[in-house]
Amino acid sequence: MSDLLVVEDLKMHFPITRGIVFQKQVAAVKAVDGVSFSVAQGETLGIVGESGCGKSTLARCVLRLLDPTGGSVVFDGHDITNLSRSEMRPLRREMMMVFQDPYASLNPRKRVGFTIAEPLEVNNIGTDAERKRRVQELLEIVGLSPEHYNRFPHEFSGGQRQRIGVARALAVNPKLIVCDEPVSALDVSVQAQILNLLKDLQREFGLTYVFIAHDLNVVRHISDRVMVMYLGKVVEVASDRALYTHPRHPYTGALMSAVPAPNPKLARMRRPIVLEGDVPNPINPPDGCRFHPRCPRARVGLCDVEEPQLRDLDSNHSTACHLPLEHWPMTTEELTHPAEPSMATS
Amino acid sequence: MALLEVEDLRTSFQTDDGVVTAVDGVSFSLERGETLGIVGESGSGKSVTCLTIMGLNDPRNTTSEGIARFDGVDLLRTDPESLRALRGMRIAMIFQDPMTSLNPVKKIGWQLEEAVLVHRDVSKKEARNLALEAMKSVRIPRAEQRIDDYPHQFSGGMRQRVMIAMALINEPDVVIADEPTTALDVTTQAQILELMNQLQQERNMAIIMITHDLGVVAEVADDVIVMYGGQVVEHAKVDEIFYRPRHPYTWGLLGSLPRLDLEVERLEQIPGQPPSLLNPPPGCRFHPRCTFAMDVCRTDVPQLLSFGEGSHLQRCWLDDATKEREAARTIASLQQEAS
Repeated sequence: MSDLLVVEDLKMHFPITRGIVFQKQVAAVKAVDGVSFSVAQGETLGIVGESGCGKSTLARCVLRLLDPTGGSVVFDGHDITNLSRSEMRPLRREMMMVFQDPYASLNPRKRVGFTIAEPLEVNNIGTDAERKRRVQELLEIVGLSPEHYNRFPHEFSGGQRQRIGVARALAVNPKLIVCDEPVSALDVSVQAQILNLLKDLQREFGLTYVFIAHDLNVVRHISDRVMVMYLGKVVEVASDRALYTHPRHPYTGALMSAVPAPNPKLARMRRPIVLEGDVPNPINPPDGCRFHPRCPRARVGLCDVEEPQLRDLDSNHSTACHLPLEHWPMTTEELTHPAEPSMATS
Repeated sequence: MALLEVEDLRTSFQTDDGVVTAVDGVSFSLERGETLGIVGESGSGKSVTCLTIMGLNDPRNTTSEGIARFDGVDLLRTDPESLRALRGMRIAMIFQDPMTSLNPVKKIGWQLEEAVLVHRDVSKKEARNLALEAMKSVRIPRAEQRIDDYPHQFSGGMRQRVMIAMALINEPDVVIADEPTTALDVTTQAQILELMNQLQQERNMAIIMITHDLGVVAEVADDVIVMYGGQVVEHAKVDEIFYRPRHPYTWGLLGSLPRLDLEVERLEQIPGQPPSLLNPPPGCRFHPRCTFAMDVCRTDVPQLLSFGEGSHLQRCWLDDATKEREAARTIASLQQEAS
């Protein structure tokens, strides 16, 4: 499989300025700080992390909705990092986005037929009649009916609106669809419908997804590979199965142990790794490993000094940790007493 | 007698489009130290049930019937004065969204003190001490300094702790928590659930936990009520709901859940949308989405009856043998994948 999307050392720093006339930068929010990954054609890469970890900013940089501060984004062989707006335009139809909030991402004053046809119109595809036919076909593909063409967004439920969002993204036959929390605003039974729809569409049209969510269950379900982010950095990337059977980074472990299982017997046995405190401020992230102030296995003199680099543990698993988890699940005792780093790397 | 007894609660709203019966005959009872989980999708009536018990609906367009007896007092019929005395003192509520439920222009300490001063005859100084203690009991670090902070200076998790502190400051007997962790990240959610569990054990409170997350219910609840379209469709012990569910909607919910402990290619999906309560379907409210729907389901409303001899209540026309078979099938498909 060839890589459709390659991201190298991507950085997005939002400047904090002071002064009205002569603005000077006093600090920067390091929302994304050196992230590299690649997505193969036809693959689904899931990105998980808690609020403020930079996952949505990352998505917007990849699509050039934001101009990254540093690094590069290569899409389908083209380096798009520094393309101008007009140079970007022909590429835009290859990469679409499905947004989180189906209530806010559709124009309430436009009929859905117009909303779905807009990407076609912008890209000058087809005549009016052809566009209309295409929209009706799209409505059917996403499980709505062609009669919905003339309705307004308020006439639809949340799940149906998200289907409209998906139809709009599909209109121009993109190669890549970035889904930013597409199901987090939906009820469980409707969420399952949308997840199944996304999977079906992927199979049918050979789509590539970057799927962002904070819900580990959802990400596990849809992804081939999963990337875990913490405070603007990637802490772990692995195939879906490898990550969930044996997380290597303590943060991934904590995240997974914190997800309540819909299974009362497991829930009673479960001993979540409860992390102390909150995610630190991305303006002034901690030295060394960014997770060390909250990490139950952090070692003084190592984790608070030296920043761990993302390194491969095997062909489909890499993590940025000096003291990766030896096995899983772990008792608190084992968790807080990591093996020597030299052993852990072997 | 149970601490809180709710019998045949009905709440309807007068809207421009007609009457919406958001809660249609909900009954349950709750003892000290017990946790009742209420699950359902948006619009199922779970929040309205609790707002009705607390007397927090707008009286101008709401009518409520039924009984909500707390310690001998019917909360629906008592005068506003004595309801106010109970509310926040012996029954407290934790709201979903800590961003909008705290007053943004008042210091945290002031808001906590207010909860004390309204109900108890104490000096301002004592109230402040109680506020400080409450903040410490929900493990807010550096409480002495943070008591003079404003809500915007707190993170989401810390704000939710403030909400819990405010609910617990008068040591209530019943706490109603409406989606207390929905707006939070998982690691924060784990902290908050753990905290609520500890406080419950220390104080022997009864908790009603409203949530749409079956994982949270499995974690905290003793009893579970599943609501659909304003009605209780199933009511049983937590293990019964998860291992011997007796209602097609519950099967659908369990099957439609993506989960960490198993790998499935395709989720079971419940077709269609939740019903509009303005014009609910005749017969069983779930029948338009139910794969087992029979003729009787389309015309006659099933009653909430116990399954066999036990205390497992369910509202479905299917015969017991089919329910047992389908429940076993649902659970088997979930467990086989887990291994």
